[in-house]
Amino acid sequence: MLGQVVISGILSGALYAMVALGLALIFGVMRIINVAHGPLLMLGAYTTYFLYSALGINPYLTVPVSMLVLFVVGVLLERTLVFRVVDAPELSSLLLTFGISIALVNLAQLLFTSDLRAVEYLTGSWVVGPFALSKSRLVAFVFAGALTGLAFLFLGWTKLGKAIRATSQSREVAMVCGINVQRIHLITFGLAAALAAAGGALIAVIVAIQPEMGQIWTFKSFLVIVLGGAGNYPGALLGGVLLGLIEQVASLFLTTQLSEVVAYVLLVVILLVRPTGLLGGRQT
Amino acid sequence: MTTKALGALITAMGVLAGGLSAQAQGPVRIGASLSLTGTYAKLGKNQHEGYKLCEKDLNAKGGLLGRKVQLVVYDDQSTPATAVRLYEKLITEDGVDGVMGPYSSPVTEASVNVTEKYKKVMVAPLAATTSIFKRPPDKKRHYVFMVISPAEAYLEGLIDMAAKRGFKTVAVVNEDTLFSKAAAAGAAEIAKKKGMHVVYAEAYPKGNTDFSALLTKVKSLNPDVIAAATYFDDAVALTRQMRELDVNPRMYGVTVGGDLPEFYDTLKTNAEYVYGATQWEHVLPYPGNTEFFEAYAKEFGHEPSYHSAAGYAGCLIYAEAVKRAGSLDADRVREQLLKLEMRTVFGDYKVDGDGFQVAHRMVTLQWQEGRKLVVWPDEVVQAKPRIPTPPWNQR
Repeated sequence: MLGQVVISGILSGALYAMVALGLALIFGVMRIINVAHGPLLMLGAYTTYFLYSALGINPYLTVPVSMLVLFVVGVLLERTLVFRVVDAPELSSLLLTFGISIALVNLAQLLFTSDLRAVEYLTGSWVVGPFALSKSRLVAFVFAGALTGLAFLFLGWTKLGKAIRATSQSREVAMVCGINVQRIHLITFGLAAALAAAGGALIAVIVAIQPEMGQIWTFKSFLVIVLGGAGNYPGALLGGVLLGLIEQVASLFLTTQLSEVVAYVLLVVILLVRPTGLLGGRQT
Repeated sequence: MTTKALGALITAMGVLAGGLSAQAQGPVRIGASLSLTGTYAKLGKNQHEGYKLCEKDLNAKGGLLGRKVQLVVYDDQSTPATAVRLYEKLITEDGVDGVMGPYSSPVTEASVNVTEKYKKVMVAPLAATTSIFKRPPDKKRHYVFMVISPAEAYLEGLIDMAAKRGFKTVAVVNEDTLFSKAAAAGAAEIAKKKGMHVVYAEAYPKGNTDFSALLTKVKSLNPDVIAAATYFDDAVALTRQMRELDVNPRMYGVTVGGDLPEFYDTLKTNAEYVYGATQWEHVLPYPGNTEFFEAYAKEFGHEPSYHSAAGYAGCLIYAEAVKRAGSLDADRVREQLLKLEMRTVFGDYKVDGDGFQVAHRMVTLQWQEGRKLVVWPDEVVQAKPRIPTPPWNQR
């Protein structure tokens, strides 16, 4: 039983990590907590759903499409709204992204209705000995792992990635070095939205989707980056897997209801004991 | 002095007016507060249409006690507090001859205090919560009558079929809300009565999407039956994740959600063999059911839901009791409602001394090749249940 639960935990943890990485990027570079992160994920899920149901495209091939669409949405949001609050007090950015979040969810309800939709593509599991490996979750794990890896390669080795990290470390020094900080903000927001979209696309194959599915992912991503260390990118990875494991193991030994309590109590404890997160905050 | 005189005058006029209207044989006015806007709007409207069709049918047959029937309906916006105010208004200001129940258990629970205060009979067709009717001895209610089956009965069919088949173990899971809790508790109790062993019981929070750990625990116990007291979203998620984790009970049933066409639309073939439960289906062989279905669809341009049928039947039940009593007097109508045994388009009606429904039966459905078919109880089946459910890897 424990083995099965650990497998489930790691599988969902990788998804948490990838989605939370987007939130961590925005927080690191722009010092904004993007409450609309989950609703962006929801839009990614719907993109995949419509491509699959209307055009019959393999849902896994829609992942890059969803990412591209949401990259554009992210860029537009940054260009029109979010850039206004980058240097404003934190409350302004919270209020703004909260507003965007409400607007996106209601827009989705209006356009897509609140009906549950599902991409019935890869259901079932591979049974390995005593363990059942859910097909869709395993594929999502592979995708999430690969995309997270790519994101780290991008941040670590490309000029643009280095510029993003430089901006995250010190905006002033980055500017002095000739980095166009506005452009970096734009790209970061787009990238974060794309990572959320990838999560949404993969989740659409795992669970049924509806316009309000996103908010819980905002909370989970927030939990992940607090666990790992806000603004610390490898920390998001650790935090994601940790959250997945905590949730699953807690619901095994306690009940499903208490497992959420455990995760959020942990949030409070970490904030009290080690407010910089397990790996320490804001180093890249 | 003048105020007193004025008061006396008004009273006299009231008495006169009352006497006059009785002589003129005005319509029998039946009041109700319904959820026409707000959270329950969709379902409340169906109930309203059921009432309207009943009004029409009664009048076509000469009305009630030789008088025409007229509905007086207000919108309570799905809020219990507003409904309380509206029943107060219906009884004291509008002076209606009788009332019918509102939509939902919470609204009924609040409104019934008003009808009890004024000693008015209320047939409450859309209240499924046992505690509205079953009360502690000092807080008994005398004038409220139940029409639909209580939440506790939703999983009865599943458990009954399982017990007859000789299955021994059952796992009960439920969303942690009022209705689902009652449904789960009912399932566990029925299972114990039938000699089955409840090996696992757990509640999960509303809005839960990840059932991996819960299902892992269920799987390790390998129960014959999984009885899930659900709404729609969780019924879908549970079913999908059972397949993912290769959980293979011999029977698996849900409550609300499993009876909706959307259940199959969403899950496709994974919904096969799943049992659902419902209060009413238009295919059930109750007297006049087909005619009701057709008349309703023609009148309102859409198919009736069980809320429509319950509203329609509840209104007919009240009318029948009035006819038998030969009067609109609350105590005489109450006496008849307690004695009445009646079969309507909605099924059987009979209550115990508390006004609690004892005759109406839930039906259990099973998805078979894309169609939901009634498989329980035996008197009304459309098809044999396909037992046992084959393991996922053999489908």
